[in-house]
Amino acid sequence: MKSFFSMWRRLPRPLRIILSRVGILVPQMFGVMLVTFILIRLLPGDPTLLLLGNMATPEAIQSLRERLGLNDSIWVQFLHYVGNVVHGDLGTSIFTSNPVLTDLQERAPATLELIVWAMLVTILIGVAVAVAATVRRGGIIDHASRIYGLAAGAIPDFWVALLLIFFLFSLAGIAPAPFGRIDALLTPPQRITGFYTVDSLLTGNWEALGSAAARLALPVLTLTIVNAGALMKLTRTVFGDVYRSDFIRHARACGLPERVIVRSALRNSLPPIITLVGFLFGFLLGAAVLVETIFAWGGLGQYAVQAVTNSDYPALQGFVLVAAAFILLVYMVVDILYEFADPRIKV
Amino acid sequence: MSGSANVSLLKVENLTVAFGGAGSVLTDVSFRIGRGEIVGIVGETGAGKSVLTRAIIDLLPPGGRVVRGEIQVEGRSVSGLSDAEKRELRGGEVALIGTNAKLLLDPVATVGTQVMRVLRAHHKVGKAEARRRTIDVFRQVGIVNPEARFDAYPHEMSGGMAQRIIIAMALIAGPKLILADDATLGLDATIQAQVLDLLASKGRELGLGVLLITHDLGIVSHYCDRVGIMQGGHLVEMKPVTAFLRGPETPYSQALLDAAKVRPTPMDAAGADGAIEHPPLLDVKDLRKTFVVDGGQTVVRAIDGVSFSVRQAETLALVGESGSGKTTVGQCLLKLLPADSGSAVFDGTEILGLTERAFRGMRRRLQVVFQEPYVALNPRWQVEDLVSEPLALLADGGRAPRAAQVERLLDLVHLPRRVRTLYPHQLTAGEQKRVGVARALATDPDFVVFDEPTTALDIRVRAQIIDLVRELQARIGLSALFITHDLNSVRSLAHNVAVMRYGKIVEHGETERIFSAPQDPYTKMLLAAELPIEGDLPAHPASLKQVV
Amino acid sequence: MTRLPASMRRHLGAAAAIGLLLLVLQIVAIVFAPAIAPYSPVDADPLNSLQPPSTAHWFGTDVSGMDIFSRVVFATRINLLISIVAVAGAFAIGVPIGLVIGFYKNPLSSLVMRAFDFIQSFPVFVLGMALVSVLGQEVWNVAIVLAVLFIPMFARLIRAEVLSLRERPFISAARCSGATDLSIMFRHILPNALTPVIVQVSISIGMAILLTAGLSFIGAGVRMPTPEWGLMVSTGAQLMILGVWWVALFPGLAIVFSVLCFALLGDYARAVTDPSAETIS
Repeated sequence: MKSFFSMWRRLPRPLRIILSRVGILVPQMFGVMLVTFILIRLLPGDPTLLLLGNMATPEAIQSLRERLGLNDSIWVQFLHYVGNVVHGDLGTSIFTSNPVLTDLQERAPATLELIVWAMLVTILIGVAVAVAATVRRGGIIDHASRIYGLAAGAIPDFWVALLLIFFLFSLAGIAPAPFGRIDALLTPPQRITGFYTVDSLLTGNWEALGSAAARLALPVLTLTIVNAGALMKLTRTVFGDVYRSDFIRHARACGLPERVIVRSALRNSLPPIITLVGFLFGFLLGAAVLVETIFAWGGLGQYAVQAVTNSDYPALQGFVLVAAAFILLVYMVVDILYEFADPRIKV
Repeated sequence: MSGSANVSLLKVENLTVAFGGAGSVLTDVSFRIGRGEIVGIVGETGAGKSVLTRAIIDLLPPGGRVVRGEIQVEGRSVSGLSDAEKRELRGGEVALIGTNAKLLLDPVATVGTQVMRVLRAHHKVGKAEARRRTIDVFRQVGIVNPEARFDAYPHEMSGGMAQRIIIAMALIAGPKLILADDATLGLDATIQAQVLDLLASKGRELGLGVLLITHDLGIVSHYCDRVGIMQGGHLVEMKPVTAFLRGPETPYSQALLDAAKVRPTPMDAAGADGAIEHPPLLDVKDLRKTFVVDGGQTVVRAIDGVSFSVRQAETLALVGESGSGKTTVGQCLLKLLPADSGSAVFDGTEILGLTERAFRGMRRRLQVVFQEPYVALNPRWQVEDLVSEPLALLADGGRAPRAAQVERLLDLVHLPRRVRTLYPHQLTAGEQKRVGVARALATDPDFVVFDEPTTALDIRVRAQIIDLVRELQARIGLSALFITHDLNSVRSLAHNVAVMRYGKIVEHGETERIFSAPQDPYTKMLLAAELPIEGDLPAHPASLKQVV
Repeated sequence: MTRLPASMRRHLGAAAAIGLLLLVLQIVAIVFAPAIAPYSPVDADPLNSLQPPSTAHWFGTDVSGMDIFSRVVFATRINLLISIVAVAGAFAIGVPIGLVIGFYKNPLSSLVMRAFDFIQSFPVFVLGMALVSVLGQEVWNVAIVLAVLFIPMFARLIRAEVLSLRERPFISAARCSGATDLSIMFRHILPNALTPVIVQVSISIGMAILLTAGLSFIGAGVRMPTPEWGLMVSTGAQLMILGVWWVALFPGLAIVFSVLCFALLGDYARAVTDPSAETIS
C-alpha cells in the first residue's frame, strides 16, 4: 500500500489527474446501467411484452425471457443486462425494428453537431458579454446583460424556437425551412466525422456546407439564447468577484496593464466556468430533445421523443443509457480540465 | 535628525478624500517623505490609513474622490498625470505592499511569473533577462533556493515567504517610494521582525522613502524615523519617533501610547507563595495529539508530550507561534478534539476519558473565550440569547431571573445594557470580544481558557480587554489558561509562562524570570522579535526606558 | 447593513415589485379562474377553430376551437400546482436528509451523497422524460418525478452549508456552552443553513414550471384536453410555420412571466439574505 502511494506520487501531476478520473468512470458506468435497468423494471406489467410490443410472437417472448433471465434473481438479471450492454446489445427498437445501438449510432452525429456548435457560440457570447459588462461597469452592455440574464432563464427553449421560426422563416423568409439538417434536394456530404459542416468542408462541398450552416442557424440560435444567459450570469459573478479581489487590486497597484489584468482574472475564473459548461452539456442534451423535434433534426433527441410517443421502451432505455454515458464522459473531461486549471487541487 | 533630504520624494498637501455624499474620510492631511526616510503612520481601524495609501497611487476604492489638496511624487502632481503615466507610477515609482500577502498573489500563476509581469510592465526586458533579474531579487529578499521557488505557486508558500514575494514584487521595477500598508499583520513575531528588518535595510540601502502604515506603536518605535498619528481622517500629530515617545502632543496620542505599554502582572494571586500544598486545579500530564494529513501520508505531532499545572487563582500563559500546538492544547482540554494519550485532571476528576454526556456537567466549571470574536458568535442570535445560552448548564436553569442574569453579565464585562437586543454584526470588535467573555463567565466557571484574546484588536481595545481580564482575575479569583503569541499581553496578565514549539514545552517558569533571564534559545529568539515600547531600543537609544 | 449601492437597490426594489405583482396575478388567476375565464377551458367548438384574437376571444382559439385565454388562465392552476407540490416535496425530503448527512460524518452519509451525485449526473430533462413515460403520463406522476429529481439538489445545498457551518467557531462555542447535538443542529445550524435554500426554492419552482411544460410539449407530460401551458404551445407548434402565431404565443408568454416571477423573487431573496451584506470586517 505504502509503495503504491509513493509510486503514485512520483507520477507527473497531469498523468495522476487523468488516471484517477478515468478510474472513477467504471463504477459510474455500472451505476448508469443500474438506473436504466431499474427504469424498465418500474414499468407495470410484463417487461417482455413492453420490450417487444403487443405484436410480439410467443417465440420471441420466450427467447427474450430467456435472454433477460426473467426467472433468475434480480441480480442475475442485472448481470445479464450488463453483459448485453458490454457486448453492444441494447435490444431491438419496436418502432424501427433495428438494433437500438445501430439507430443511436446513426443519429448521434446530428445531435452532437447541434450541441457542439451551440456550446461554442454560448461560451463565446456568454463569456465575452460578462467580461465586457464587468470591465465597463454601468455601461450599456452591463445593463442590457442584466435584463437578458434575468429573462434568459425564464424562456422555454421550445417556445423560442417557434418564435424564431415564425419571425425569421414565416414572416421574413430569411431562415431556411425547419425541416432537417440539410436541404432535401442536396445529397449530404460523404460521411467522415458525421458533422455535416465539417464533412462538407473536408470534401469541399460548398453547396452542402452553405445549406448545413443555414439549417444549423436557428436551432443553434435557440439553444444559445436560452443557455448563454446562465453562463453569462455565472461568469459575471465569478469574474466580477475575481476582478474586485485583493490580488487584482494589487496587480493594478503594481501598474500592470489592463489587458494583463483581465487575462489573469479570466484565468482565475476558469474553474467554475468549466464546471458550468460541463453541466450545460447535460442541459443542452435535454434541450436538444425539444429543439430537434421542432426542427425535424433526425438526431437522438427526436429518436427519444418517438420512443416516448410509441412506447418504444428498448429505444428509450438505450437513449437514456447513451445520454448518461455521454454526460459522464463530459464530466470526466470537465473534472480533468478543472484540475489542470487550478494548481491548488491535490490529486 | 535622520537624513531627510532636501527634495521631498512624496509631498501630500491638505489631502481631503470623501466617499459619495458622506463626510470626508481624510481631512487636510499634509506630510512629506524624503529619500532614505522611514515614516510611520499609526491609527486605529477606520482612521483612514489605507485610504491614504490608495490615494497616493490614485486607486481609491469605487466612489472615493479627492475633494481637495494635492499629492506630489518627486515634484510631479499625481492628479495631473495621464492614465498611462499613472500606470507607470504605480509599481514603477511608488510600490505598494499590502496586508496578507497570500491574498495579494494570483493563486493560479507561479510567483516568478507574477514578479516578472511587474518588471515587464515597467521596463522593456526580454523573458530570459526578466527571469534572471527576478531570481536576483528573490535572492535579495532572502528567498532560499530562488531558482526553484520561481516556479512555486502561492499556496505552496508560508505567509512569511509570500510576504517576501510581495516585497520582491515591490522592489523589482526599481521604485523610489514604498508604501507598506499593515504589511506584517497576522505574521508570527519572529517572521514579522525578519520582514520588517528586510524592508528597513533595503529602504536604507537603496535610498528609498518608506511609508509604514501600522496599528502597532512597537513597530514604529523600532523602525521609523518619524511617526504620524491618524484619528478619524485627521493627521493629528507628526514628529520624530524619539520626540513622540518622550511626549506626545495630543491626548489621543497619549492614550494610544499608554495603551500600548505593558502593565506589570498583578502578583497578588493566591498562588504567590505558600500555596504549594494546595493540589493544582488543573493538572495536565504528558498530553499527546497527532493529526494525520495528506491522505495518511504524513503524521503531524501537534502536541508531543505536554505537561503543566494551574493552581487556583493562577494564570498560566501558553506562548508560541502558529503551528506550535498551543491552540490544540486548549481544544483538547475543552474536549473539542479528542486527545491521543496523557491525562488532564481537573479538580480531582480525569476529564480526557469522559464521554461528551458525562463531561457536559463539567462544562459549567470549565469555560473558554474564543479567538475571533465575530465568528465565535452565532450571527442570527441576539446578544441576550448568546449570553444566556450557557445558563442552561446551571442546575436551576436560571429560568426566572434570566433578564437579571443577562444584565449582571453585561455589567460584569462593562457592556451597556442596550446591546441586549443587538446582533453580533452590529457590535464593534471590542464589544464582540466582551460578549464572548460574558458567555464564558455566565456559569461562574472555576477555570477559563482564553484563546488569543488580544489578537487583531486595535491598540486601545486590546488594552481594554487586558484591563478587563486583570479585573476579573482580581475580583473573582479566576484561574486561566492564556493561549497567545502576544508576549506583551503575557507580561500584563500571566503569573507563569510556558513556551511551546513544535508541540513541546521548551521553557516553563514564572513570567518575570522568563522575561528577564530566558534560558532556551527559542525563548530568546521570541523575546528578541518582540517590539515593546519599553526595553532596549537599539535604533533609538534616547527612547523611554521603563522598569517592567 | 445592505452594502449595495443605492442605484442597485432601486433596481432590486423595482424587480421585486414586478415579481410580487406577477405572483399576485397568478394567485388571482388560480383562485378566480372560473370567474375570469369567459369560456370553459376544455369545451371544443369546431365551428370556431383557429380564430385570431378578437374581442370575443382575446387570445384567439385553437384547432378544436377552445378559447385560448380561458385555457391560459385555467392552466395556471395545473402548472403551479405541479411545480409547488414538486418543490415542496423535494424540500421536505431533501432538507432533513441534507442536514443529517452533513452533520454526521459516516460511511452511510458519504454513500447517500455518492448516490445523489450520481442521480444529478443524469441530464434532468432526459431522466424526467423517461421516468414520466414509464410511470404513466399523469399529473401526479409529473409532480412526483420532478420532486425526486429535485431532492438531491436541496439535500446537497443544505449539506454544503452544514459542512461549512459545522466547522465555524460558533459551533464549538455553543458546545462549550453546553448545547446538545439536537440544539446545535436545529437552533444553530439549520437557521443559518436555510438562507440559500429559500432562494433555491423560488428558483426551483421556476425550473419545475419549465420542465413540466417541456415534458408536455414532447408528449411526455399531461395529456389533452387538460389546460397546461406546454401542451398548449405544442398544439400551436406546427401552426407557427404556417403563420398562425396566437396558439403558441400566449401560453408561451404565460410560462415566461410565471418563471420570471419566481426568478425575480429568488433574486430578491438572495440579495436580502446574502450573508456578505451583513458582515462587517
